[in-house]
Amino acid sequence: MNQLRAELLKIRSTRTTIGLLVGLIVLALLFTILTCTLSPMSQLLTEQDQTSLLSFGSIAGVFAALAGVMLFTSEYRFGTIRPTSLFNPSRNRIFVSKFTAGVLSGFVFGVIGEGLVFSIGLMILKIRGVSIVMSGANMTELLVGAVVGTALWGAVGVGVGAIVPNQVGAVISLLAWGFVVENLVFGFLPKIGRFLPVHASDSMMGPIEDKLLPGNVGTLVVVAWSLVLAIIGMALLKRRDVN
Amino acid sequence: MSSVVQCDSLSKRYGDVLAVDDLTFAIEAGTITGFLGPNGAGKSTTLRMLLGLAKPSAGHATIFGSPYDQLETPALRIGAVLEATDFHPGRSGRDHLRMLSQAVGLPDARVDEVLTLVELQGAARRRVKGYSLGMRQRLGLAAALLGNPDLLVLDEPANGLDPEGVRWLRDFLRAFASGGRTVLISSHVLAEVAQTVDQILIINHGRLVAESTLDDLTARVGGAVRVQSPELDKLAETLGREGIVTSRSNDHALLAKGTTRERVGDLALAAGIAIYELVTEGSSLEEVFLDLTSEEVPQ
Repeated sequence: MNQLRAELLKIRSTRTTIGLLVGLIVLALLFTILTCTLSPMSQLLTEQDQTSLLSFGSIAGVFAALAGVMLFTSEYRFGTIRPTSLFNPSRNRIFVSKFTAGVLSGFVFGVIGEGLVFSIGLMILKIRGVSIVMSGANMTELLVGAVVGTALWGAVGVGVGAIVPNQVGAVISLLAWGFVVENLVFGFLPKIGRFLPVHASDSMMGPIEDKLLPGNVGTLVVVAWSLVLAIIGMALLKRRDVN
Repeated sequence: MSSVVQCDSLSKRYGDVLAVDDLTFAIEAGTITGFLGPNGAGKSTTLRMLLGLAKPSAGHATIFGSPYDQLETPALRIGAVLEATDFHPGRSGRDHLRMLSQAVGLPDARVDEVLTLVELQGAARRRVKGYSLGMRQRLGLAAALLGNPDLLVLDEPANGLDPEGVRWLRDFLRAFASGGRTVLISSHVLAEVAQTVDQILIINHGRLVAESTLDDLTARVGGAVRVQSPELDKLAETLGREGIVTSRSNDHALLAKGTTRERVGDLALAAGIAIYELVTEGSSLEEVFLDLTSEEVPQ
């Protein structure tokens, strides 16, 4: 618990997290205002149209993953892994604390990101006179799925950061995977691509794309990804010397 | 009394390079030990193994009788500074200390105490990127002191410090050790620690090449004990009987080779010979150091 408090303080005490949050807020607002205002009415009518549009808050997952990655990589980049390890020689405890901190910060990113997109998007659609056809259950699934998915991306980020301690390497790997590799795989081989973490977490938000997994299966798949990365990251952390 | 620090046959191999080679030494409580050697001699690797950051390839290292990572909250007994740059530049000095103190359940009040101790209270809330090297060294020391430790392990703490900073550090370490606490301080510059340490360990190519007090070491490697006495002939004879070779200096003092001040003084006392002057001289410490660390170690 002490180490978790320390990890949460690390997140709060630099401008990195605030920078990521500001970036998320700006991006979420920009996208929501532009798309909800400028999209033709014909693209806003079905439940899938509306769910897809209002699910943009899940972009918070990228920011949560980056924040998660930083939990390890910035320690290696600036050498604070040495005092951190001296004050807590249990690598397991360090990992579990960072993993938990990654999930918690991801949760906050998710609430802010999806909260903004959903509330402002819905407001603009109503002002434009769009009839909201999303059911209450669908809205709940979207909100819970986006927030929980983002929290899990915080965990995935921690795992990636533990596996690739080099900050530039980890960030590039993560972005290249999320924006390039997965989209290519899903585009060409959707039956495989839907099991990859980005598309599995998309499925958690409801019917935004036909080829995705059912939401509950998608949730399990993302949890599995975060746990597999965590197990590999923890094993490497224990094996590696702190130099 | 058991040793505070104990290394037994400690080795560390990185690929083909044997960074630390069968190192065995012990450090007793209440001493300031200089851990010396040229850059790349294996000092930092040894300290990392001692502090549980690196796993030994062979042998083992213990502090207070246990491996570092098996001690209960080791930061409350051992303070260590390994690099002067181990800070996030965007974090304030105070927050750096708070994140460490929270990890071991110490209150923020302790953070403020150590900041005052290292005279950084005025800069505590500033981001570390605005700190001078001397301030960073002191912040590192503050982190090491958070747990009010009985042992301080410092890796090259005087690196980059100006003379005033070196003196501050020396005074600080003396005050710290005066209460019976122990310091292990590494350096590649003998002069930085010569006025601070009680005993020294010198390593070269990962191997221990000397372990002794400064006086002993100086005497052993070609230095001499210079003695002034009204009865120099009698003293020379007394020392000669103990196998100590003596000679006369230009100013008619007696130079005793291969021995220590304490031994000469004790022998003179036993023989009832008055001593007017008793100093270790000859090779400078730097010469001794260079002599020991320039030797090629057989592969």
